[in-house]
Amino acid sequence: MAEHDFFRKQNESGTPQNIEQNAASEEDLLGQIGEKDGITDKLRRMCRQNKLAAFSAAVILIILLMAVFAPVIAPYGEAEQDLLNRLQAPSAAHWLGTDELGRDVFSRLLYGARVSLSIGIIPSIISLLIGILLGLTAGYFGGWYDYIVMRLADVMLSVPSLLMAMVVMYTLGSSITSLFIALIIVDWASVARVVRSQTLSLKESEYVEAARSIGVGRFTIMIRHILPNCIPSLIVLFTLNVPSAILSESSLSFLGIGVQPPAASWGLIVNQAKQFLFTQPWLCLAPCIAIMIVVLAFNFLGDGLRDVLDPYMKDQ
Amino acid sequence: MKKISRRDFLKGSASALAASVMFGSGLNAAAEEGSDGTLYIAWTSDMQTMDVHTTSSNYQIPLNIFDRLFEIQLNDDGSTELVNSLVEDYTVSEDGLTYEFALHEGVLFSDGTPLTSADVKYTFTRMLALPESVQTDFANAIAGSDEVMEGTAEELTGIEVVDDTHFTVTLSEPFAGFLYQLATPSCCIYSESIVEAAGDDYGIDPALTIGTGPYVVTSWDHDNSIILDLNPNYWGETPSVTHVEISIIPDASTMSMMFQSGEIDILDCDYLDSSVVESTYKTAYADQIVSANRLSITYFMLNENVEPLNDVNVRKAIQMAVDRESILTSVYSGEGTIEDGIFPTGLIGHSEENQGWLEYDPEGAKALLEEAGYADGFTMEISSDESASSGVLLVLQIIQQNLADVGITAEIVSYDEASWLALRKSGEMCSFVATWTADYNDPDNFIYTFFGSADKSLIRSGNYYNTEVMERVAAARAIVDDDERLAEYAALEAQIVQEDAAWVPLFSRTHLFVVSDRVASYTPHWAGYSDYSFVGVTLA
Amino acid sequence: MKSFLKRLLGTIPVLFGVVLLIFIMLRIIPGDPVTMLLGEHVNQDTIDRLTEVMGLNDPLPTQFFNYIVNALHGDLGVSYKYNREVTDMILEALPYTIKLAVLAALFAWVIGLVTGIISAVRQNHLADRLFMGFSLAGVSIPIFMTSLFLQYFLAFKIKLFPLTENGSLYSMILPAIALGWNSAGRIARMTRSNLLEVLQADYIDTARAKGLRRNAVIVGHALKNSMLPIVTMMALQLSSMLSGAVITESVFAIPGIGRLATTAISNRDMPVLQGTVLFTTVIVIAGNLLADLLYSVLDPRIRKEA
Repeated sequence: MAEHDFFRKQNESGTPQNIEQNAASEEDLLGQIGEKDGITDKLRRMCRQNKLAAFSAAVILIILLMAVFAPVIAPYGEAEQDLLNRLQAPSAAHWLGTDELGRDVFSRLLYGARVSLSIGIIPSIISLLIGILLGLTAGYFGGWYDYIVMRLADVMLSVPSLLMAMVVMYTLGSSITSLFIALIIVDWASVARVVRSQTLSLKESEYVEAARSIGVGRFTIMIRHILPNCIPSLIVLFTLNVPSAILSESSLSFLGIGVQPPAASWGLIVNQAKQFLFTQPWLCLAPCIAIMIVVLAFNFLGDGLRDVLDPYMKDQ
Repeated sequence: MKKISRRDFLKGSASALAASVMFGSGLNAAAEEGSDGTLYIAWTSDMQTMDVHTTSSNYQIPLNIFDRLFEIQLNDDGSTELVNSLVEDYTVSEDGLTYEFALHEGVLFSDGTPLTSADVKYTFTRMLALPESVQTDFANAIAGSDEVMEGTAEELTGIEVVDDTHFTVTLSEPFAGFLYQLATPSCCIYSESIVEAAGDDYGIDPALTIGTGPYVVTSWDHDNSIILDLNPNYWGETPSVTHVEISIIPDASTMSMMFQSGEIDILDCDYLDSSVVESTYKTAYADQIVSANRLSITYFMLNENVEPLNDVNVRKAIQMAVDRESILTSVYSGEGTIEDGIFPTGLIGHSEENQGWLEYDPEGAKALLEEAGYADGFTMEISSDESASSGVLLVLQIIQQNLADVGITAEIVSYDEASWLALRKSGEMCSFVATWTADYNDPDNFIYTFFGSADKSLIRSGNYYNTEVMERVAAARAIVDDDERLAEYAALEAQIVQEDAAWVPLFSRTHLFVVSDRVASYTPHWAGYSDYSFVGVTLA
Repeated sequence: MKSFLKRLLGTIPVLFGVVLLIFIMLRIIPGDPVTMLLGEHVNQDTIDRLTEVMGLNDPLPTQFFNYIVNALHGDLGVSYKYNREVTDMILEALPYTIKLAVLAALFAWVIGLVTGIISAVRQNHLADRLFMGFSLAGVSIPIFMTSLFLQYFLAFKIKLFPLTENGSLYSMILPAIALGWNSAGRIARMTRSNLLEVLQADYIDTARAKGLRRNAVIVGHALKNSMLPIVTMMALQLSSMLSGAVITESVFAIPGIGRLATTAISNRDMPVLQGTVLFTTVIVIAGNLLADLLYSVLDPRIRKEA
C-alpha cells in the first residue's frame, strides 16, 4: 500500500497544488456557498441517486457495530487457544477455521476489526482536527505564520508516506500508539491544505466581509462562517483517509513493523497467515477480504459523498 | 555465542510463507542443470562483513574462506571430535597451561602468501586489541590477554613464536575447553600482511579479504548475490562444490518457491513455519530432508530481582505451569527434544540423570503459588524482541496462556531489537525466551555464560542469587580431570535448575534442511548452525 | 516560466525542512545505536570510543550542520552496519528501482488509458464491468497480496516468468505489473469518468454532426480535453514509484531503494535510512515540479496567465 495511499493523497483528493492554482475552482466554491440545501439533504440525495454509496454506508455501519459488539458476537475469545485443533478448515464450530495456535479466525477477525477500524478512524479524526486548526488559522492570518505552516505541510507531503511511517516506527518503536502518530504525521498536511485554500477564498467573500463589518470576532468568523463551508470536503477527505490508513497498517505489518502480536489487527492477521496462503488459504483470505470490503466501502462512500457534497473536489 | 543462535532461531523463519505449494511439488527442475560443480543457496539477508572479529551474526563465508587451527568433526553416530586443521601436531603440558603447536607445512593464502606462526599470533592479538572486536571471549584464556584488551600492552605475551611453523601458547590458568574454542568460527586464522594491507577494507572488499580456506569470494553484489570459487592455492583436498552462488531473497515464501523450482539446492527450514515444512516438504521431499542435531537450549529466563519471581516457589510453580510438550508439538511439529537442564542433548556434559524430573502440572503449580502466598496470582511481563521469528512469538503466546491457566497474568511487551538487548543487558528485563547455541562442545560454554558470575547473570537479566554456586561454576573451568569436571557440572546443573529454579528449561530443536536432488550428500555444521562448510556438500 | 522558477526556489526550504525533520526524528530514538551495532560482548570503553568516532558526541546542531554540508557534497555518511558510503549504496540500488518504476509506470499508463477508454466507449458493457472490477481490485487489495498471487500463479505455477529478479528486463515484468496495477486502476477509473463527462458535452455532438467517425471523435476531441489531470497524475505516479516500491522489491528480491530502507530499519542503520529518505524525497519533489510543469504546458488557461 505504500504504493497505494500515496497516489491517492496526491491525486484523487484533487491534486492539492492545483487547487491553489486553479482559478476556476474559486468560483465553484463561491457558488457552493450560496447553495441552499444542507448536508442532510445532500446525504439524502446521495442515498437516492447512488445506491452503491448508500449500500457502502450500510456495510460500514454493520462492520462498526460488529467491532463494537465483538465480545458479544464472537463465539470464542480473542486469544483463546486450542492447541489440539490447529489450522483447522472452516466448519460449523469455526466458521473461518482456526489459526496456528488453534484460535478461532472469525473471532479474531471481529476483535481485529476493533484495532483496524481504530487505526483507520482515530488518526484520521485527529489529523482532521490538526489540519483544520492549522489550515484555518494559516489561511485566515496569512503572513509568515501561513508560510511556515504551509512549508511544514509541504515537507510532510514530500516524504513518501510509507517511508515516513517507517521512520516514525523506527523512532518510536512498533506499537499502536506510534502507528497512530505515524498516520497523523502523514495525514494532517493534506487536510490543512484543503482547509487553507478554502479559507483563503472565503475570507475575501462578501459574506465574511459582512460578518466582519458588524464586528464579529476573528475566531467566531473562522468557526461559524468559514469552517462549515469546509466540512463537505473534509467529510470526503476523511472517508478517503480511513481506508488508506488501514492499507498502510497492513503494509507495515507485512514489513514486520506494524502492530505487534499478541494484539491483532487485520494487517497482522494477514501477515501471520501469509505463510499458509497456499495450504490453508482461508487463514489469509478472510482478513484480506475484510480489508478489501472496508476499503472498497469507504472508497465508494467517499465517491458518492464527493458527488453530492463537494463537486469542486472532483478531478478537474 | 548469542550470534549464531540469533540468526538460526530468532531471525529464522522471519517471514515464512507459502512453501506449501504441495500440489505442484515433485517438479525437480534442478535436474535440467547438469552437475557443473555449482551450488545454489539463498539467505534472507546479506552479511555485514567477512571479518569474524567484528561480527558474530553470519559465519558462513568465514567458515569457507578461512581455516581454523582445529575443526570439529561430526561422526555418523552424532558424536563430535576435535580434529587437526591448520595444526598438524600439538602437545599439552601436564599442568594444562602450556600448549605447543606445529602448523601444517606449505599452507598458502589464496594470493600465495605463506602461512606462518606469526600470523597466528597476529590473529589473536587483533582479536583482543581491535576496539570493535566482538570475539575477545575466545582469546581471553591466553596469558597476557587482559593487558592487550585494555591497551596497556601491544604484545600478547601468551603466544610465543618459535619458528615459522612452531608456536607455544600459555594460558593464565588451565582451561579444559581451550582447544575447542580454537575450532570456533571466531578463531579463523588471518594473514598479518594481508590484513594490514587491506586496512579498513578488510572484511568488506572480497578481493582483499582472503584466507587459506577452500574458497575465495569472487563477487559480492550487496543485497543481491555473493559468488565463491575455489581457492587455487588450497592446501587440502579439492571439494566437490567448485562454485557457489548465494542469492539474497528477503521473502521466505519466495525462497521456498525457488527451491521447488530447482533454483536453490539447500533450503534452511528455519526460514519456514514448521507446519509448512510438515505439509509440503515432509511429504513430497521426504527423502531430501537432512536433519541436524542442534546443540542448543531454548529457555525461559526468570529475573530473580523482580518481585515475586524472587520467590523460589513462584519460579518452581512457573516451571510446572509451562506445557513444554505442547509448545514443541504445536510450534515446531515436535522436531526437537524436551530439555530439563542447562546442557542440551548431544552436548558433552549432558546428564540423563538430570532429565525427566520436570512434568507439566498446573495443579501442582497452583498449590505452590498458594503456598507462596499468590493464590490470586500476580502480573508479570514477558519481553519480546520484534525481530524474533514468528515461532518464538507463538511460544510466548502459549506460555502466556499456560500462565493464565494457573492465575498468573503475563503481559507480552515487544521491543525493537536494540531496546530489547539494552533492557536485557541492564538486568531489568522481567522474563524472556531465547536460545543459546553451542560455540564449542563443552558444558562450560553454557553454564559459564549464564551462571559464571553475578555479572554474567546480570547481563542476561537472570540475576541468579547463589554466589556460592557461581564460584563453583567458575572454578570448574580449571578442573583438569574430565570425569571430575563433568560430575561437578552435573551437580551444579541440578542445583541451579532443580533446586534454585533459575530458569525454565524448554527444549532443543532439530535443525531441518531440504536439499535438491543435485546434492548427493550434505553434512550440516556439527552444532546445527545455519552456517556450514561447502566442503561438506557433494554434488550428484 | 517565471512561476516555475519560483516554485523551484520554493522547494529549497521544503528540502531543508525534510532534512531537519528526519534528522531530529532519527536522533531521538531510545537506545543507543552503538550498543546494537556491537552486540553484547563489548565493554563500555569500546562503546564510548565508537560513539566518539561516529560523531554522536557532538552537539546536535553541529551534527546537523555537518550532515547538510556533507550532503551538499554528495556525501550522505557511512552505514553503521556495512561500513560503506551511503551514497554508493543508493547509487547501486538506483538502477534497479529505475527499471522497475519505469516499467511499472509504462504498464500503468498503457493499461490504464486503454482500459479506461474502452470502458468509457463501451460503458456498462461486459468489458467495462470487467475492467472496472480489475481496477477496483488494484485499488483495494494490499499490494503484497497482489505480488504474492502474481508470483505464485504466473511464475511458480505457469512458469511464464522468473520467480525473482535475475538481472534481465524480462524478470522485472511481473514485479512491474504488481506495482503498476494499483496505478493502472486509478488511471483507468479517472480516464473513464473524465471521458464520459466530456463525451456528453455539446461540442462532441457538434463534431459528430460534422460527420466525423465515432472513433475519431473520441481520440481527437474527448481525449484531448480530458488528458490534463490524467497526465499530471501519471507524472506523479512515476515519481512515487521511483521513491521505492518497498514491498514489491521485498517479494521479488530486487535490491532497489525500497529494500535499502527496509534493511536499514531492521539493522537500525540510521545513516542509510536517513540517506534513503532524503534521496527519495528529492525524487518526489522533482516529480511534483515536473507534474506542475506539464500541467502548465498542457493547460491553456495557465499558459496564458504565465
